[in-house]
Amino acid sequence: MTDLLDTPRRIRSARAVRNRRAYVITTLLAVVAFVLFVISMMVGSYAVSAPDVLASVLHLRDNPSVDFIVRDLRLPTALAGLAVGVALGVSGQLFQRVLGNPLASPDFVGISSGASFFAVSAIVLFDASSTLISGSALVGALLSAGMIYLLAWRDGITGYRFILIGIGITQLMVSLIGYIVSHASIHEAREAMTWLVGSVGQAGSGELRTLLVGLAVLLPVIVGLERSLRALELGDDTAKALGARVELNRLGLLGASIVLVGFAVAVAGPIMFVALIAGPIAQRLVGRTAGGIVAAGCVGAIITLGADLVSHQVLPVDLPTGVVTGLIGAPYLIWLLVTVNKEGRGG
Amino acid sequence: MTSHELRGSKLSLGYAEKDIVSDLDVDIVDGAITVIVGANACGKSTLLRGLARLLKPRGGDVILDGKSIHDLRSVDVAKVLGLLPQSPVAPDGITVSDLVGRGRYPHQGWFRRWTAEDDIAVSAALEATGTADLAYRNISELSGGQRQRVWVAMALAQDTDLLLLDEPTTFLDINHQVELLDLLTDLNRHSGKTIVIVLHDLNLACRYADHIIAMKDGAIIAEGAPNDVVTAEVITTVYGLDCEVVPDPVSGTPMVVPRGRHHARAAAGLTR
Repeated sequence: MTDLLDTPRRIRSARAVRNRRAYVITTLLAVVAFVLFVISMMVGSYAVSAPDVLASVLHLRDNPSVDFIVRDLRLPTALAGLAVGVALGVSGQLFQRVLGNPLASPDFVGISSGASFFAVSAIVLFDASSTLISGSALVGALLSAGMIYLLAWRDGITGYRFILIGIGITQLMVSLIGYIVSHASIHEAREAMTWLVGSVGQAGSGELRTLLVGLAVLLPVIVGLERSLRALELGDDTAKALGARVELNRLGLLGASIVLVGFAVAVAGPIMFVALIAGPIAQRLVGRTAGGIVAAGCVGAIITLGADLVSHQVLPVDLPTGVVTGLIGAPYLIWLLVTVNKEGRGG
Repeated sequence: MTSHELRGSKLSLGYAEKDIVSDLDVDIVDGAITVIVGANACGKSTLLRGLARLLKPRGGDVILDGKSIHDLRSVDVAKVLGLLPQSPVAPDGITVSDLVGRGRYPHQGWFRRWTAEDDIAVSAALEATGTADLAYRNISELSGGQRQRVWVAMALAQDTDLLLLDEPTTFLDINHQVELLDLLTDLNRHSGKTIVIVLHDLNLACRYADHIIAMKDGAIIAEGAPNDVVTAEVITTVYGLDCEVVPDPVSGTPMVVPRGRHHARAAAGLTR
């Protein structure tokens, strides 16, 4: 046994060490994400140096040819990669923590596919404008989430039932997408299929602006709610006993995630696996205790920007971002399914 | 410790269509250890959840210090009244000190985050439950007994005058059961905490309770000091069990010896 007076000091110093570690690692992740953001504006058929990129983006000096390449061609794609990555990383970790299951990410439980179905319908059936695509993706995300929530509700929500019903909804949405695409003209169908794999390069400026505004509004709210999330993670009864307003906080956290997923899908299509893997990687890096919603956003951005760089610069053929994230994410998913069943927590 | 009033009046509680507890009056004795016993599905956990405002009453009210518990802000209730549920969930990979620290939730807010007071409360909870040496261990590495002590530590870090525990000894072996109940008794005797426990083991209930509540079909059949309440007659009514009640050789409190259909000695001195 330790000295009674000593314990508070030990607890305090351990907490300080842990917080500093989380802070340092989150900062490092943010730096890496920023570096990738800049690199993705440097490389291409015409190379631009990092200072030139920064000068152009920040409007420090005017150089028409560089400005055209950086501001008009590359900045939207890079910004889309950054914003989509942050949105998917954050919403993935929120889903996983609120529902207490590593499989519960929006791309796995049908939120992304609901958003895709509505966005594809808007593209194919109405040849929609960007506002309409963002709007319908959001409606799709909310509708499929609402359906899952209603169907899974039984005096509360358990992660297991939510996931099973979510997988069912995914299948429903995928078959509806198939129906829409099969009725499209060959040109539209090809466009829709490209969109469905997911790529940050296809962003329209309207959808991108909506996502950026969404992030600016919702991220502070989400970070503020993290304190309640830490109570929610202990189960409904314990959280209520601790005085947390369970239903309100859960709806707020899931609602914010769903909005972010909807807007992100509108920008880049359903880029698979980013939401699934960003959260757990972030938690492994900063430590479970520190939580790490911001870190999850940074990891999401790193994965998305990295995958986009790989698909356009490293590989001999130009691939959509979603194919590269799929190549990283699928083995992780298989590993997760195997280990989750071994530990018996995935149900 | 300040004294508190916690009582249910004309309380009806239930899930879905069914009332499990109906029209029940109960008064929790301040500063004492109350143990609620009864057969499976008699409504004892439901009553506990109702008292801790985890369940909204269908009828009647739960009164905490003169006010209806559902009219109070939930964080204000959580500063006075704590509950350890039957099967609490620990997120994967969380450490003991982190889990215990989360018990500080009601004392923090949007602007008041972690302070020295929180460190002291967490340390005191770890020391009281003998888990200070486990502080940096992962919850998933602990044994069942250690884990239960850590959950009690979390409830203690909440620093409430009233503490409700729903079957805290389930999954513990007899040694750890006694250890945990001794710990709760220490807390009651040293700091005057009011403790309410739902327990299955009647003999331990009789030994550790100052006040015992026996429930059947959502109603209270008998309540009072174990010596007054626990008789063969009451046990037979509550559990439908034919039994003998003899004094516990250690504590002198009532001890229930079930009769069963086999193994009775032919001319046992135990028969009445």
